[in-house]
Amino acid sequence: MAKMPAKTLSSEALRQFHDWVDEYPNKRSMLMMVLRLVEEEFGCIDDDAMEIAADLCGVNVAHVQGMVTFYTHFKRPAHGKHRFMVCATLMCALDGNTDQALAQIRAKLGLKPGEATPDGLFSCEKVECLADCDKPPVIQKDDEHFCSMKGPALDAYIDKLLTAEGKTSEQYLAATPVTMDLRVAVLPVHYNFEGEQNVGARRFDDKDPYFAPGEGSENGSARTTGVPPALKTPLTAPVAGGALNPSNAGHGANGTSGGQHG
Amino acid sequence: MAETTPPAAPPAPPASEAPKPKPVVPFSPVILKHIHEPNAHTLEHYLARGGYETARKHVGETDPASLVAIVKDSGLRGRGGAGFPTGMKWGFLAKGTGKPAYLAVNGDESEPGTFKDRHILEKDPHQLLEGVILTCWAIQSNHAFIYLRGEFILGYQRLEAAVKEARAKGFIGEKSFGKDFPLKVTVVRGAGAYICGEETGMLSSIEGGRGYPKIKPPFPAVSGLFKCPTIVNNVETIANVTHIVKNGADWHKQWGTEKSPGYKIFCLAGAVKKPGVYEVPLGITMREFIDVYGGGMVEGRTLKAVIPGGLSAPLLTPEMVDKCTLDYESLAGLGSMLGSGGITVLHDGVDMMSAIYNTMRFYHHESCGQCTPCREGTGWLEKLAHKHHAGHAHAGDTDLLADVAKNMRGRTICVLADAAAMPMQSYLQLFRPEFDKRVAAPEYVEKGRTARDEITPAAKRESVTHGAPGVLDVGMGMDRV
Ligand SMILES: Cc1cc2nc3c(=O)[nH]c(=O)nc-3n(C[C@H](O)[C@H](O)[C@H](O)COP(=O)(O)O)c2cc1C
Ligand code: SF4
Repeated sequence: MAKMPAKTLSSEALRQFHDWVDEYPNKRSMLMMVLRLVEEEFGCIDDDAMEIAADLCGVNVAHVQGMVTFYTHFKRPAHGKHRFMVCATLMCALDGNTDQALAQIRAKLGLKPGEATPDGLFSCEKVECLADCDKPPVIQKDDEHFCSMKGPALDAYIDKLLTAEGKTSEQYLAATPVTMDLRVAVLPVHYNFEGEQNVGARRFDDKDPYFAPGEGSENGSARTTGVPPALKTPLTAPVAGGALNPSNAGHGANGTSGGQHG
Repeated sequence: MAETTPPAAPPAPPASEAPKPKPVVPFSPVILKHIHEPNAHTLEHYLARGGYETARKHVGETDPASLVAIVKDSGLRGRGGAGFPTGMKWGFLAKGTGKPAYLAVNGDESEPGTFKDRHILEKDPHQLLEGVILTCWAIQSNHAFIYLRGEFILGYQRLEAAVKEARAKGFIGEKSFGKDFPLKVTVVRGAGAYICGEETGMLSSIEGGRGYPKIKPPFPAVSGLFKCPTIVNNVETIANVTHIVKNGADWHKQWGTEKSPGYKIFCLAGAVKKPGVYEVPLGITMREFIDVYGGGMVEGRTLKAVIPGGLSAPLLTPEMVDKCTLDYESLAGLGSMLGSGGITVLHDGVDMMSAIYNTMRFYHHESCGQCTPCREGTGWLEKLAHKHHAGHAHAGDTDLLADVAKNMRGRTICVLADAAAMPMQSYLQLFRPEFDKRVAAPEYVEKGRTARDEITPAAKRESVTHGAPGVLDVGMGMDRV
């Protein structure tokens, strides 16, 4: 019965969340932004992050999994630390612009679209229109946006990243890249199959200490800034069990079966 | 009521009195006027050019119905794609339901070839925000959502900063402009789904779900966000509102045609010398736009086709381009659409089979998968387009393409299926010989070659991949003929 320590959100992130609570008519509608919040907090959206997002927004974890597999821009654990997104839609692809950018990335990092370097530092993927079609090819590297990104500019940029990471192009060309696996586990790893009360996402309602008046609130109403005392305990239910056997991992699209065991 | 009528003498531009015969009125950009100035995104810059004065004047003072009337009068049409008259849409907002009304601003800008909202969001977010405030007052909504595509990172930061500044100044908040008008503006980020540009898909996303479009009717104006009456408008549409309310309906009608009044931002991409965003009066000729604004075709190339309104719009051949003017009716008359104003110019070297294959891949990737004709149909179109592109299509495959495309139209929840079928049908109609050339003839098959090899030898194909053989397998399949 080893308890898995789950990740927790930092107090800044929680404060941001609490600022948002007043902005939205219900907690579920905060999900898009909360997913961004956990993405920024943990660097990507992994199982823990999905569970925390489900907790915060009062929805089922399966629902969050459905979201994360639907929207392609969320960063997942399989993506590289440096995630190259190359626009492959017609306007960029005309005249071989996209092909050239992809060829350069391949020549430097040995990556085809959909692959990541074995050390997880770099990944490359084709994406659809990035809305800057007059300056092809358009590439996004995580939060950075580049226009007309081919030729020496792209090479120099990759070299800069390689140097910053202390890597060389030759190292990556010699290594075998891995195919990115963006599927989600059928159930998140922290699922507890023994105690029924812990199955499914924890549901918060407004009586939950989570939304109760915090220490710092002047008017005594819930949902103000300041971290409520309840948050000093971990958000996710610490539960028994190890990681899900990878062979049980299913396709994201079918992953909606989780969470309804009650 | 007297002061609610539009000012008789509009300050800008210094033109003769409206309404005069068109199109004599000189035009200079309105919405994009300041985008080239550094710091145009800051509050100081916006206030220095008279920003928020219009909102201050009208919020809490003017009868909302008269604002709706001005917009209706101006003939402003939605800039997001469908071109629906904006004032009329506002008029459809369900009243007296006891539910709050919402404004949802569509900044998803996912239609390939369109990049106008990006410039407004990144370079002049306060302009949009003032439009949002005025619109909310006009439709009496206390909460506006602005939905941006997740890839707009700078745009999000700038808009979020602008909202904070406006809140700090009291332009939005419990008492906007000190009047009894509470207003919240919430910015929501998407995460890379074309379908969230469809209005009900966007609402599903804001509600915290997958971006699944919903059956219409009920239209959002009756039952939209959180099942409350909702007005959905494009970023550019909303940015127009400030200028129309400030200068009056007649000022807006100085430009454009009878049925498409005003001006619009067009995005020009592809084989022209000066691609970019240009704000022009509606009704100018497509030739003028390409030759004067776009600087003409790139050196050594001639025009093969134009995609006039984003990737979903049926193509125009050079003869159609000659007849075309940039307004909703002219393009509809040519069997295409003005759409979002994303104009892409294809030169004579573009292999149309590459282009259609790439296009179909886009729709297959972006179909949300709710409706069978769309989910399966886009897949079939992609596969069959790939077969043609790769030169091993069978004899009946071209007709099958036409059949699948025809059967996708008008049978689905949203019009993405139509948006995928329309370009396919127009390619088939205009470039049928190119399809037929790719059908594998028995003599090629005997030689172990594909039809594509006959047209574009493999060696030449690789040349466009700039010396990296093999990349074509994973690339876009774009090659020159
Ligand atoms: C598949 C699809 C994608 C769309 N993408 C966008 C988009 O990216 N931006 C946009 O403003 N409208 C888009 N629209 C149009 C919207 O559904 C809607 O008509 C528009 O936002 C209404 O605003 P308007 O009246 O100001 O044009 C799209 C429609 C469809 C069917
Ligand atoms: S038409 Fe396509 S994108 Fe639209 S709802 Fe149906 S499946 Fe989804």
